[in-house]
Amino acid sequence: MMPRVSSLVVAGLVAIGAPALAQDSYPNRPITMVVPFPPGGVADLTARPVAAAMEKVLKTPVGVVNKQGAAGAVGMQSVAVAKPDGYTLLLALSSISIIPEADKLFNRPPAFAVEQFAPIALISADPTILVVPADKPWKTAKEFIEDARKRPGQISYSSSGIYGTLHMAMELLSQSAGIKLRHVPHAGAGPALTAILGGHVDALASGPAVVLPHIKAGRLRPLAGWGDKRVAALAEVPTFKELGYPDAEFYIWAGVFAPKGTPEPVLTKLRATLREAVNDPEFKTAMDRLETPVTFKQGEEFQRFFDADARRLAEGVRRVGRVEAK
Amino acid sequence: MLDVLQNLALGFSVALSPPVLFYAFVGCVIGTLVGVLPGVGPLAGISLLLPATFGMDATRAIVMLAGIYYGAMYGGSTTSILMRIPGEAASVMTCIDGYAMARKGRAGAALAIAAVGSYIAGTASVVALMVMAPPLARVALRFGPPEQLALLLLGLLVLAYMSSGSMLKALAMAALGLLLGTIGIDQMTGYMRYVYGVVELGDGLGVVPVAVGLFGVAEILATAGAPTPPAVIKPRLSELLPSREEWRQSTWPIARGTVLGFLIGILPGSAHIIASFVSYAVEKRVSRRPQDFGHGAVAGVAGPESANNSATSGAFVPMLALGVPSGPIPAVMLAALMVHGVAPGPLLIGNQPALFWGFIASMYVGNVMLLILNLPLVGLFVNILRVPYPYLYPAVLVFSILGVYAVNGSVVDVWIMLLMGVLGYVLRKLDFETAPIVLGVVLAPLIELSLRQSLAMSDGRYAIFVEHRIAAALLVFGLGLVLLNLYTFARRRLDWRARMALADKGDSS
Repeated sequence: MMPRVSSLVVAGLVAIGAPALAQDSYPNRPITMVVPFPPGGVADLTARPVAAAMEKVLKTPVGVVNKQGAAGAVGMQSVAVAKPDGYTLLLALSSISIIPEADKLFNRPPAFAVEQFAPIALISADPTILVVPADKPWKTAKEFIEDARKRPGQISYSSSGIYGTLHMAMELLSQSAGIKLRHVPHAGAGPALTAILGGHVDALASGPAVVLPHIKAGRLRPLAGWGDKRVAALAEVPTFKELGYPDAEFYIWAGVFAPKGTPEPVLTKLRATLREAVNDPEFKTAMDRLETPVTFKQGEEFQRFFDADARRLAEGVRRVGRVEAK
Repeated sequence: MLDVLQNLALGFSVALSPPVLFYAFVGCVIGTLVGVLPGVGPLAGISLLLPATFGMDATRAIVMLAGIYYGAMYGGSTTSILMRIPGEAASVMTCIDGYAMARKGRAGAALAIAAVGSYIAGTASVVALMVMAPPLARVALRFGPPEQLALLLLGLLVLAYMSSGSMLKALAMAALGLLLGTIGIDQMTGYMRYVYGVVELGDGLGVVPVAVGLFGVAEILATAGAPTPPAVIKPRLSELLPSREEWRQSTWPIARGTVLGFLIGILPGSAHIIASFVSYAVEKRVSRRPQDFGHGAVAGVAGPESANNSATSGAFVPMLALGVPSGPIPAVMLAALMVHGVAPGPLLIGNQPALFWGFIASMYVGNVMLLILNLPLVGLFVNILRVPYPYLYPAVLVFSILGVYAVNGSVVDVWIMLLMGVLGYVLRKLDFETAPIVLGVVLAPLIELSLRQSLAMSDGRYAIFVEHRIAAALLVFGLGLVLLNLYTFARRRLDWRARMALADKGDSS
């Protein structure tokens, strides 16, 4: 039960008195997990089973609160400035590294900085998949890239929004393969999918779960994935890494964060809790239904993944730069 | 056809099983409640209850959530008619003639017509959904950005018919609404516009705080500021039901509203809101007595209230047939399906017949439930009008603030509502109508996005609007309408609107 702290430190903390006692008994009141997106989105659907599984381990209620607005900035900002006591947590997606970078690009006062959060654990990391309408000529990623080279700026793709995750994935591919595609931003991942199904754009980078039914129905064709490894549900689809574009690596990930300054014993306890939570059978069933495999990383490992991802995304945003409207 | 009947029999066997029936009822009751409460609309209601469905099976969950959606369309008219406060955004148009009817002592009639219209529209549109979903969904997908822009521009023309007073004033208000609609993040470039460091404004002004402010709060302020308090209406029991004449006047508006609402509902966007606006304008256009609109025209209640209901069924067409969301509410419902391991997509109807047909059948059942639930409530609701204003209005104001706050948990939304209330009060004093502002706020982001998406698709060439045949046809039709109007305007100079405006000057305070 005792967090992994040397007994000497514990003894020292106890000597200090009340605050240490409060930490020892963490958690002694309900925990809030902020989801900075509306109910029904990827973040929300991941957070709820995570919270339920944490509740079982901690024997303390863990409530999910949706604080949506401004593509997640409202909720993330609220956690960034919350009291770092372990009772306010954040379930964030990749966009946590994009928003501050976009703010910098426009010389805006940043809503928050990545440094204001302490990463606790990564829950899932789904690589995006490149899909095209089934009636388009490209049968492989190679054909797609070659055609894009021949006709720069002619092949179009939809995205969930400018500087959004789906835009960044395509941008990383474009940079890696030296091609130029035509970007048509949409207001969210749903409309972006509708656009490709209606044949209004030629390509889309999307999370596998969303496009899987349409691939099975024969309306969309998968060409390649952005992952380090192939996606289990699409085992025949190669990765860009295999095809010789190692920089086209991108994941839509979900992770749990606490405000910076949360005491180390509390963070340790939370990491241990999450490690146990992701092995909960009910949690596993929930994630299976969403067709989102669990990818658990914590501590150093998560920090490395997070830093590398943030670096890639920051560079992606900078390379896109400010877009001048047509 | 035999197939459909067999499938429907399967559907009813699911829908009439006690647990499904129970959840449909719970959904309808909650829907009516979120509809009645000012500010809280179906999206907020569904979002709040989504987690509660995680433990149910997929059919029960989806049946309950759908019940909230169409139930809210029934409930939304209540406060619009009684207090001029839109219960949810799609009931804005009902505020105008519904409230005017209530002032004349016809609140009961307006509520009953709204309920019956909603029932007819709800039921008829489910038939359409059942028979035509797959082919219609494919047509809906062909509506890309250029087609949407053409359709939205056509919708803007509708504005010109919305006012009962001066057309110039109505257009000025529409322009103000469109300008307010540009607040927030620029979807194409990521620039923030008119945000002044308030992160919450990044998403723009919400339709709900704007509508509740401009209508509800402004009405409360105006009543408080009136030199003599308005007489308390004491509805008599005999006046609760619509007269034969009122039924006759509602028949065609309900029919037209049903068809229009369904067709608009299929298309992406905030369809149920736009459907009610378009229906109102159409009714006014075809009416032999357009001057009655704004002063208690029955058609102005029957049309929009039917349209917003059948638009909800329309919104389910792309969702069920193809697994694509046509708006934020279907998007949440798709998520509910995914949570239960049901992959929404083109194969849903074939793979999950019990779910699809059970869902369809439950909508028939749910609409009957709502009618039974809402008609007796008419008698109860009109009695709210007996409460003296000094007690009624402060309570309503509190509920409006709570409702608007509850949607996003955002104090900024409450401030927007209060500011819009003050704006609405001033505009009323100056004899401007505020409905065009709401339509402007709804349409501006959609028009802008579809225009710029079209140009992104074509690399900046405007020819895309001619090359896309559906878009071109719609634009030509719209142009024809404008020319026709200019022609009549030039011929007559003073059309009925101008005459009305002149007449109004005489009796307005």
